[in-house]
Amino acid sequence: MPDALMLAAALLAAGTGMGWLALAMDVHWEQACGDAPHSPARAQGLRIAGALSLGVSLGLCLAVDHPSMAALVWVMILAAATLVVAFTLTWRPRWLAVLAWGADGKP
Amino acid sequence: MPVIHTEIQEVSHPNRRIVALRVLAGLAGGYAFTWGFVALGVAALFAAGMEFHDAEHLCYIVGLLIFLVAFLWAFAARSLARVWAVLAGGGLLMAGAASLMQSLLLP
Amino acid sequence: MFQNFRLSMAWLHTWFGLALGFVLMVVFFFGALSVFDREIDRWAIPSSRVEPQPMPSFDRVLRPVFEAMQPNRKSVDAMRSEVNGPMPERFDTPRRWGAYTTHRDPVLGLFAGFEVPNAKDPETAIWASRTIDPRTGASLPEDRLKIGSQFFYPLHYSLTFTWKDLGYWIVGLAALVMLAALVSGVVMHRKIFRELFTFRPGKSRQRSLLDLHNLTGVVALPFHFFFAFTGLVIFASIYFPVTHTQLEPLHELHEKLDSEETGLPHERAGIAAPIASVDAMVAEAQRRWAARGMAGEVGFLAVQFPKDANGYVSVYRAGTDRIALTGEGIHFKASTGELLREEPPSSAVDSLNEFLTGLHLQHFRHWLLRWLYVLGGLAGCACIATGFLFFVEKRKKQHARAGSQGSRIVDALGVTTVTGMMIAALGILIANRLLPDVLPAGWPERGDLERYAFWGTWVLAMAHAFWRSAPVAQGQVNPAWHEQCRGIVVLAVTAVLLNWLTTGDHLVKTLAEPYWPVAGVDLFLLASAGIAALAARKIRRKAKETAHARPGKPTEAAHA
Repeated sequence: MPDALMLAAALLAAGTGMGWLALAMDVHWEQACGDAPHSPARAQGLRIAGALSLGVSLGLCLAVDHPSMAALVWVMILAAATLVVAFTLTWRPRWLAVLAWGADGKP
Repeated sequence: MPVIHTEIQEVSHPNRRIVALRVLAGLAGGYAFTWGFVALGVAALFAAGMEFHDAEHLCYIVGLLIFLVAFLWAFAARSLARVWAVLAGGGLLMAGAASLMQSLLLP
Repeated sequence: MFQNFRLSMAWLHTWFGLALGFVLMVVFFFGALSVFDREIDRWAIPSSRVEPQPMPSFDRVLRPVFEAMQPNRKSVDAMRSEVNGPMPERFDTPRRWGAYTTHRDPVLGLFAGFEVPNAKDPETAIWASRTIDPRTGASLPEDRLKIGSQFFYPLHYSLTFTWKDLGYWIVGLAALVMLAALVSGVVMHRKIFRELFTFRPGKSRQRSLLDLHNLTGVVALPFHFFFAFTGLVIFASIYFPVTHTQLEPLHELHEKLDSEETGLPHERAGIAAPIASVDAMVAEAQRRWAARGMAGEVGFLAVQFPKDANGYVSVYRAGTDRIALTGEGIHFKASTGELLREEPPSSAVDSLNEFLTGLHLQHFRHWLLRWLYVLGGLAGCACIATGFLFFVEKRKKQHARAGSQGSRIVDALGVTTVTGMMIAALGILIANRLLPDVLPAGWPERGDLERYAFWGTWVLAMAHAFWRSAPVAQGQVNPAWHEQCRGIVVLAVTAVLLNWLTTGDHLVKTLAEPYWPVAGVDLFLLASAGIAALAARKIRRKAKETAHARPGKPTEAAHA
């Protein structure tokens, strides 16, 4: 896979990971999914999924560049991803619901 | 419009003389302490066999972090007298030790 | 001074943040622009809008330029005070020749240092520099200011305030305060993880400003910390010149031992000698790098003591594919081309230092990372700007009641430093396009006029900011904010249009080729105009809301 594609995937994985980590928090779950039920078990699942996704993102960065550069790229990708998730929650919170599994409007 | 509740309570502003002394302690005292640290560090590491520019760079990297800590401590510490004693006094001692070491190393 | 640690950190964060925040805005903004300094150079100097070139042949292209180079009049005049006796007509004894290039340079910068006869300090050297087209060796006119690498970039690390190096010290202090502000900010912000994704523009202005301040600060916290820290590391020898003062004897001892160990002469021999084919030495260096599995381009080429028997040539590999700027130095005896020294792999400390400096100075090839750096830099600006805005917002009602001008002054300074600074940057770009190529005799140099345009525009923006700031003393919004945003829209679009009109390189053309450096700058300008337009509209709306919500006035009470 060409570098540009892998880095794009790394960005996507980071965005997804940060999105899951955000949804694990009650306040953001409510912003995105409204009244859909939110259990501690699901929150834990979201956190684990989020962490794994961030790990995948790091792995993709390491596949493209050598470690010292990949580390910098990954940290900055996380920053960009966090900003995107934060602004999505601010202006289009419902969009984040696409990452919330099981919360398809049914209580 | 209510004033925002930040996590910090409003505090009456300390008087100017105390502020000036703390700022001086943080900047001048911190600088003196860092200078002494760098001088002693370079002399000691060079004496121990480290390459000269390596010793220099390492002492700068650590020293700048020490400057940061000293600066913060100058404002957090209770006793201004102790701040001056440690920072200015410590700096002078370390610088003195560095010069002593230098004189021993020179042919 | 305070009852507890958190209070002391809050005080530190607020007051040092305010005082040095103005400097930090400049450092972060022009630092962010400097990521693409060479691209901005090309926008500013149309004759350099060519493809980046590798280091050209020394024997055929560089040597004639080095031989002909002489310091310019400004440098000679500045050197007079360091010399006992007359200044020579020509400086004939070069001490060092050097050329440095990266994968982004279409033109090549050369420098030459000369011995200064009768100098008070024998170590003194006088420097000359030249910019050439590496394909032909032709020199570019010296009066073309490289707005990116020779103005925005030095502005970033020294405020171009070079008298007694004061600018470096001010920026250094600002960097230290930045680190302190980051640590104290984390101490103050108890809900750092819980509020990581929180930005509530719908709430009170103070709350939304604080949210944005926290968001932009925390999200790029490693970036902000590392850039302030590595900036200090890069200039550490300016701030703590220990080894050139207190430990100078130790430094001399090391130089002597080092010279014996490495075989690289410390002094000139005073005996004339020819320079063998440097191209052959470069080829040998590249062969050796490839043999180590590190094939690469030449990043830095230097000749020490040219035309002297002790002269040596140093060839360094460009760090295009790594964080370190250059490396794998190989040194040859200048007169014969024999190998003197192949530098061993970096020590642990050296690698750490190279990583830290390389991380900041970014000469590597990685376009995504570059743009992420710009994002980080602009996030830093947003953090500082929202810090000012929060400071004013929190206090302006109290100040209005007490009849104090404090908030008004801080607010006006905020406008000056945020929108005013951007207007100044646009001002120099516009001046760059409007000034004629050849100036009438007796006029200052073109580069100087461009600099005056920058500072002049900024002063005008400041005057406007203060002139319009009266409402802040009543607890209202300063109209200068949205007025200057509108100014940014007009100026940014004008700059893009002027580029088209004066060079013919309009966006359709530069996107089609594609010639990204110029297209990138034009697109960035247009995007800025767009954001400024949105901001102007939002600010104007909020300002009207605040004005109507003002209690106490009988006419307003009728609306409420």
